[in-house]
Amino acid sequence: MDKIDLYIIETLSRNARTSFRQIAIALDVSPDTIIDRYNALQEKGIIRGSTIVLNPKEIGYSAMAVFMIDISPAEDNKSRFDSSVIVEKLIKMRNIIVASKTVGDHDLLAIGVVKDFQHLFEVRDEIAAIPGVKDMEVSFWSEITELCPKYFVI
Amino acid sequence: METKLDKIDIAVIRALQKDARASFAAIAKSCSVSVDTISKRFKKIEAAGVARGTTILLNPKSFACDCVASFGIRTDFSHIDKVLQFLKKMPDIVFSTQTMGRHSIFAVAIVKNVTVLSQVKEVIKGHPMVREVTTSIWINDILLCPENFDLPTGEEKPIG
Repeated sequence: MDKIDLYIIETLSRNARTSFRQIAIALDVSPDTIIDRYNALQEKGIIRGSTIVLNPKEIGYSAMAVFMIDISPAEDNKSRFDSSVIVEKLIKMRNIIVASKTVGDHDLLAIGVVKDFQHLFEVRDEIAAIPGVKDMEVSFWSEITELCPKYFVI
Repeated sequence: METKLDKIDIAVIRALQKDARASFAAIAKSCSVSVDTISKRFKKIEAAGVARGTTILLNPKSFACDCVASFGIRTDFSHIDKVLQFLKKMPDIVFSTQTMGRHSIFAVAIVKNVTVLSQVKEVIKGHPMVREVTTSIWINDILLCPENFDLPTGEEKPIG
């Protein structure tokens, strides 16, 4: 990555809708250069996409929660649960915005948005119902957290 | 507080969630309204605070950050704020919040490798008001699903 790439990344992080022409003028290069660079950054997987940053409070979500999940240990090889399958199920659940396998205190981690207490319990129950989920620890917070800002994008 | 959104607002948000660079002309066409309407709606959504703008999704691995981890931190109750302020000053901590549950604070760090992560943990543990730190390293394929929640008019499929 050179100066041009970094400038594109920085500008688009602040406003993904910045026109390529505007970036080209700022860098004194042709708009085609910027388009080529942007496409290359996407092809290399450095830029994975772009999105609107929403404020959950304004769309009816009062809190966020992190679910730290333990998977049942295998009793024999046949009954082993595949954690990848569980992660897949988690990300397909509504209200879950991030899910990952983890090493450490728990096996899986999921972060979700919830409307209220009752909704928190519903989401928890839905996770608990996934086959292989043995145990779960929940922490939640109501501080305003923007949905999918840079730090959740991994 | 909740802002009321109509069909067009939601179409704008949904389109931009998938691709923030989506052309307003294409969104306008799908809603059978003018481009001007879409551009006005986008401004309205931002002005109402529903969205704080748009951003690109980056892969931290491209920036030599190979290790993502979360910390559950337990502190003395009266000192949660002080510890939070301390965390917010640490450059490797990208997110921190006070939580209810087993831990007082939940924080996420993005660092170069496990060695650096261990140093970050030591720094947090070294804070006089921190009682306990549990670390979870996130393994590959951390998936982000930004479209995965409902918008207020409840047109989407209900939960469950």
